[in-house]
Amino acid sequence: MKNRLRALRAERGWSQSVLGDQLDVSRQTINAIEAGRYDPSLPLAFKIARLFGQSIEDIFDDQD
Amino acid sequence: MTTEQANFRFFKVFVPAMILYVATTAGIVWLSDRHALSPHVLYVLTLVPIGAIFAAFWAQWRFAMELDEFLRLIQIKGTLIGVACIMIIASGWGQLERLADVPRLPVFWLLPVFWTVQGLATTVISKREGVF
Repeated sequence: MKNRLRALRAERGWSQSVLGDQLDVSRQTINAIEAGRYDPSLPLAFKIARLFGQSIEDIFDDQD
Repeated sequence: MTTEQANFRFFKVFVPAMILYVATTAGIVWLSDRHALSPHVLYVLTLVPIGAIFAAFWAQWRFAMELDEFLRLIQIKGTLIGVACIMIIASGWGQLERLADVPRLPVFWLLPVFWTVQGLATTVISKREGVF
């Protein structure tokens, strides 16, 4: 699944570790989500959306 | 909890449990080779390495629960590969024992095989997923 997580993180100047700490997940998990290798669970997707003040659909795109 | 903390808590239980397992297994073999121990004594002594195996799996379970969802998925995939490997060896050889009269499989070795396969599978999956 494509997503805008890397761009949103870059806008705020956060490292993957900083974002991971805020979401209570590892740097490796952030890296995997950004690379599209892992789709987060619904609770984690909600946490991401709330942190960036956007809807899940604004961040994640399930359309090819 | 951070991944590092979960790792530390895992190895803090797993390593002593495996040392206890190997030491007590070797100790029981050493004792039974030199003394005529009754089966009841051997049953009781064997409870120690069995307890160590239980502790190791409990540590594995706790470790998986303390990781975040992505790293937990990798652990579970590695464990499933380990279990699948053991089941294929045990069931496959069991069929051969039943039907083809092959020598009996020393099932004692299934646990080391499981941990080896689980560890290798988890490492390969982690590498492929970019964890390290």
